[in-house]
Amino acid sequence: MSNVCREQDLDALLAGELSLADAERVRAHSETCAACNHALAWLKLERGWMAQRARRMPARPALNFAALEARLAAANAPARPASAPGVASRRSERATPRRRSDWSHRAVMALGAVAAVSFILFSVTQVRPVHSTEELWSQDVLASGLLQACVDPSGEAVAALEDRFSACLIASPAVPTY
Amino acid sequence: MFAARDDAPEAEAHEGERALLRRARTGDPVAFRLLFERHSPAVWRFLKDSFRDEAAADEATQETFVRAHGRLATLRDEDRLASWLLGIARLVFLEARRSRGVHLDVDGEESEGLVEAVLPTPTPEDLLLDRETEALLTQALGHLTEVRRSALLLRIDHGLPYEEIAQVMGWSLPKVKNEIHRARLQLRERLAAHVGGRS
Repeated sequence: MSNVCREQDLDALLAGELSLADAERVRAHSETCAACNHALAWLKLERGWMAQRARRMPARPALNFAALEARLAAANAPARPASAPGVASRRSERATPRRRSDWSHRAVMALGAVAAVSFILFSVTQVRPVHSTEELWSQDVLASGLLQACVDPSGEAVAALEDRFSACLIASPAVPTY
Repeated sequence: MFAARDDAPEAEAHEGERALLRRARTGDPVAFRLLFERHSPAVWRFLKDSFRDEAAADEATQETFVRAHGRLATLRDEDRLASWLLGIARLVFLEARRSRGVHLDVDGEESEGLVEAVLPTPTPEDLLLDRETEALLTQALGHLTEVRRSALLLRIDHGLPYEEIAQVMGWSLPKVKNEIHRARLQLRERLAAHVGGRS
């Protein structure tokens, strides 16, 4: 088969897709070309077989419009409680993803609630006063009984205490009373 | 002998279909029923050839028309109703395959090296599709990869133009032509022993 006559042209000729001029040109060539005749014979065979096959369509339930109507009714009225068996099976198929999405939505909501409660609890525990290292040191010294607690922030009390030990022992002039 | 372009009856049929489509879009159930009755056999056949399973084709055909009913307004070219429906059918098929965890087969290598010249020329006697030949044809189609088979059948069974096959298959036009050509060669090779000179 030469470039003058391609199988696609022959196919288009059989399909009636060519203009009258092109159809005439391809037809005239194919009548004198052995390769085109060969290809045309196969193309006609395929088309002929397909046409016969199409005419032998079996009676199938899918081709019953009543069945389709039931499905359309089910699709348009998803909240109806009762329906035909075929419709019910379809609805159950359709309901599965929705149910799954409901559950995932609820799981996200629960996770959010847990996160919020955790945050609140964490925040409450953080309200306790955190003392600096220095304060802890001074508290330890006071707790050991070596020093009297400087409850009186006045300069006299501090000076008296420091006089007793001849040194400045407490960097912080007072320990908070709370 | 050949089908030359005579647009009159085809245009009349298209006009009738356009009118039905417009009525169906306005919610006319009778019009939709007529469209269903006109196109459902082809859709079922296409799905049956895709699935190679009649029950699966039943389910997918109904699903195709349920979707089509809900999306009639989205059909832009009223003359392409058939390819639009077959496109929906193909999507339904692909979704069903995916949901079953079945991967689509890739392009076969079988057609490489086929030589068209060795094929016999069919005789007029071969044109009759008896039961035996139909079984052979079904078997030969089954040896094609799914995508190649679908493309070929969209052309030789459903009569879609190459451009519309490209849309349905999601391929470029050259790929459509190439795949259909290869599919034809593969099919002919399988059928060669049964045609030409059998008596």
